[in-house]
Amino acid sequence: MEPKEEVKKANPSQESGMEENERVDNQTQSDVGTLSPKARYVPPLNFSLVEDGIYRSGFPMPINYPFLEQLGLKTIIYLGDLGHDKKNKSKSTSTDKAGDESKSKKEKDKSDKHAAGEIWQDYQRWIETTDIRFFNLLMESSQEPFIMDNEHKQSEEALIRALQLILDKRNFPILIHSNKGKHRIGVLVGLMRKILQGWSMSGIFDEYEKFAMGKAEYDLEFIELWQPELYVNVENKPDFLRL
Amino acid sequence: MAELQASESKDEPGSSSVVKIMKPPTTRIIPPLNFCPVERQLYRSAQPSIINQPFLKDLNLKTIIWLASEEPQDDFLDFCSNCHINVEFVGLMNEYAYKNVNPWDSLSEGTIRRALEIICDKENYPLLVCCGMGRHRTGSVIGCLRRLQGWNLASVSEEYRRFTGARGGRIMVELLIEGFDINSVQVDPSKLPEWLG
Repeated sequence: MEPKEEVKKANPSQESGMEENERVDNQTQSDVGTLSPKARYVPPLNFSLVEDGIYRSGFPMPINYPFLEQLGLKTIIYLGDLGHDKKNKSKSTSTDKAGDESKSKKEKDKSDKHAAGEIWQDYQRWIETTDIRFFNLLMESSQEPFIMDNEHKQSEEALIRALQLILDKRNFPILIHSNKGKHRIGVLVGLMRKILQGWSMSGIFDEYEKFAMGKAEYDLEFIELWQPELYVNVENKPDFLRL
Repeated sequence: MAELQASESKDEPGSSSVVKIMKPPTTRIIPPLNFCPVERQLYRSAQPSIINQPFLKDLNLKTIIWLASEEPQDDFLDFCSNCHINVEFVGLMNEYAYKNVNPWDSLSEGTIRRALEIICDKENYPLLVCCGMGRHRTGSVIGCLRRLQGWNLASVSEEYRRFTGARGGRIMVELLIEGFDINSVQVDPSKLPEWLG
């Protein structure tokens, strides 16, 4: 994974003739007064700043670790199911690619169709090389939140713990992430926008949709209707909190 | 593993500085269309309207970079002068030396460079970058900023497209971002925001 630094010039603007000369000059006078091109950073999928001190994303892969290291993260909150035993879910038949049937497959669960175990282990190993505090909060995706009561409870508890961590700026900078950075994180950010910042629901739904790109299931209803009981120590409250 | 329960703050509800939150704030604030934080104290959005003013006030903006080729609405300019926000007009129609410029044309490299030089000066923060819809012009500048930050192009495009709405991204904007010469941006290293340093 070594992306090339120099991208072939594709200049759609009308001023190309003059620019060409300038460019030559810039290259000879090294980088006095310009930012030298740095190593390429690859942010995780669906990465974005949420508020000062809070980032959101999908599941970080090894290619993303250098990017994450320069953020100086203190805390990571993972809302998802990796690293938790899948109790009733292992029915999903393995549709692995035929070529991948080496020894590593035997060690893993058959339902591990995207090498999730390996990704999880890489991630755990990377976190251990940092000083980041890692919170692994199990949250089921809200397919039928009003029916499956147990999982619903568990998700609510995870969300409350996540919101409590967000309410203490001593934990900043925080990365909150799920697997794709769409639905679970969308719910958490939506709740934060509603309860902690008082955004209008329309603004919240718009932001949710930017990342989820369809398939909201019951997430928007949940953001709108759910109201947990939270506590904040005013001395450590984040700047974006409106009380 | 690695879950450090102990360091999670357990503030007792009894303590005096602890406040219970039972409902959202009573006054709601409305973010401008396509609003999003980009970096610390740097934001992007479409042209704010009157209903967004309480939201904007909370950002304590010092500068707004206006990228559209038309002037913004009067009420928006009034709001900015009342709040002592400095509006930098970059990319106005009359700034082009040549004729036949359309509002939907891409920004020129020179315009992007000027916008980036404002963004690279921490004196201008907190800072909002905006255009009519907060899609293509704003997306061009933020895209080039991401390249300046060393992001890979696929991630830059992903972010650009997130704000382009149902009709998707424009290939010309992505080409502009891809071809932009990041070495042409003149910056004063002592004035860079910390996340660019």
